Amino acid sequence: MDARVKKKKMILSQGTMDVDFVRKVEALSDTSVRRCFQCGKCSAGCPMATFMEHPPNRVVRLLQLGQWRRILEGRSIWYCASCETCSTRCPNKVHLASIMDALRKLSWDAEGPSKESYVQLANKLFLQNIRSYGRQYEMRLAAVFNVKSGQFLKDLSLGPKLLAKGKLKMFHSKNRNLSEIGKIFTRIEEMRKNGEAL
Amino acid sequence: MKKLLNYAYYPGCSLHASAGEYDLSTRELFKALKIGLTEVPDWFCCGATPAHNVDELLSLSLCAKNLELAEKVEGDLAVACAACFSRLKFTQHTLEENATKRKQVEKAIDAPVKLDGKVKHLLEILAGDLGLERLAASVNKPLAGLKVACYYGCLLTRPTDVPNLDCTEAPTIMERVIEAVGAETVAWSHRLECCGANFTLSRPGVVIQLTNAILDSAKAAGADCIMVGCPLCHGNLDIRQKEIEGVYKTNYNLPVFYLTQLVGLSVGLGSGKLGLDAMIVSPMPLLKEKGLL
Repeated sequence: MDARVKKKKMILSQGTMDVDFVRKVEALSDTSVRRCFQCGKCSAGCPMATFMEHPPNRVVRLLQLGQWRRILEGRSIWYCASCETCSTRCPNKVHLASIMDALRKLSWDAEGPSKESYVQLANKLFLQNIRSYGRQYEMRLAAVFNVKSGQFLKDLSLGPKLLAKGKLKMFHSKNRNLSEIGKIFTRIEEMRKNGEAL
Repeated sequence: MKKLLNYAYYPGCSLHASAGEYDLSTRELFKALKIGLTEVPDWFCCGATPAHNVDELLSLSLCAKNLELAEKVEGDLAVACAACFSRLKFTQHTLEENATKRKQVEKAIDAPVKLDGKVKHLLEILAGDLGLERLAASVNKPLAGLKVACYYGCLLTRPTDVPNLDCTEAPTIMERVIEAVGAETVAWSHRLECCGANFTLSRPGVVIQLTNAILDSAKAAGADCIMVGCPLCHGNLDIRQKEIEGVYKTNYNLPVFYLTQLVGLSVGLGSGKLGLDAMIVSPMPLLKEKGLL
């Protein structure tokens, strides 16, 4: 995120504090942001904090203040590696890794305002592959990612080496019970349409 | 001969593709140890990190479906991949604790959720069910003189209360297993640090930076090689090692073994049964130097 957004003045008022959104995050992640007392252990252990404009403890602080837009506009949530170090070390049992999942989901549903598109594209292709094949098809995942992200030459030198070692499979068979997985996807979509799940 | 132990086996997607040598060495090692493995028929992808990243309900449902499929095979569920292991354990933990999510998942898979089946990583089977004494008794070729850096990564031990494999901050299970078959282990700083995992596709620059720190730490501790229990860690440490050496103008030359390859070597399995030729950083010079091949 550029410095302009980061330095944008924060005005705390009933108008700018969106508590409903925070409640949704808490429900999805099954954890309370109010337990956090800003010790900073999460950010100290986070391997990805260096790539984020809001390190993990600040993400929680912004949630406490109802300032979720600042989080979603940035790339912090998409740079979380889900390594679970934060959740493991939190003295107050704030499950920060789950909060990150919840934030990504809400951002994803809103077709997120974040500029971090590569990670989102990779996630989208991964899930499409599960629905179409049942199991992950690594070769296709990498090839389609390169085409869709416009990085045609990314990791190109690795390709032949991996093929020679039998690590990339050109062909991939679909699960025999593929229709069952399709049903799981549709049932979840229906539940969401009917307001039975977030 | 009657098998002493029998397991249902969930290999996961990577073991059927980029981590074929992990699958091969697991099957061969278990055969040599007379432990039965039956692959769960028609298992699905567990959803891995991308699913829970943006859709926890989907992730829980995929894993619950896999747990249901595994019920059809006799024995506890043996899992090789650290990510699959973590997701399956997470699903059991979350659905146990949260009745609302459990109801939603049951609706999504259109079946009752069963949580009593045990999910075990290969390490737990070797160190716990089989036991270190029996493992040591199966050794034909002790890995004497081989200095191994045991790399846990993230998902085998974290967070507290979920995988319950070992202590979250100071685990020893990998060291115990590999010392039982005669190897030496080194004490090093980065054995629990993240390698960047699936950013290898979307943001490889991140992986190069984080994985370099891990390789650097292992080398500084005097390790001859690294041992892992996760195909994604393996991909980053092994496949990207040359590229990392180029970026940081250094030379690590650290072969990265799956735990089943090293244990397999000690029970006397040959290179062909362990898939050693599939490793990008060749282990052959090291193994020949130590007289292990």
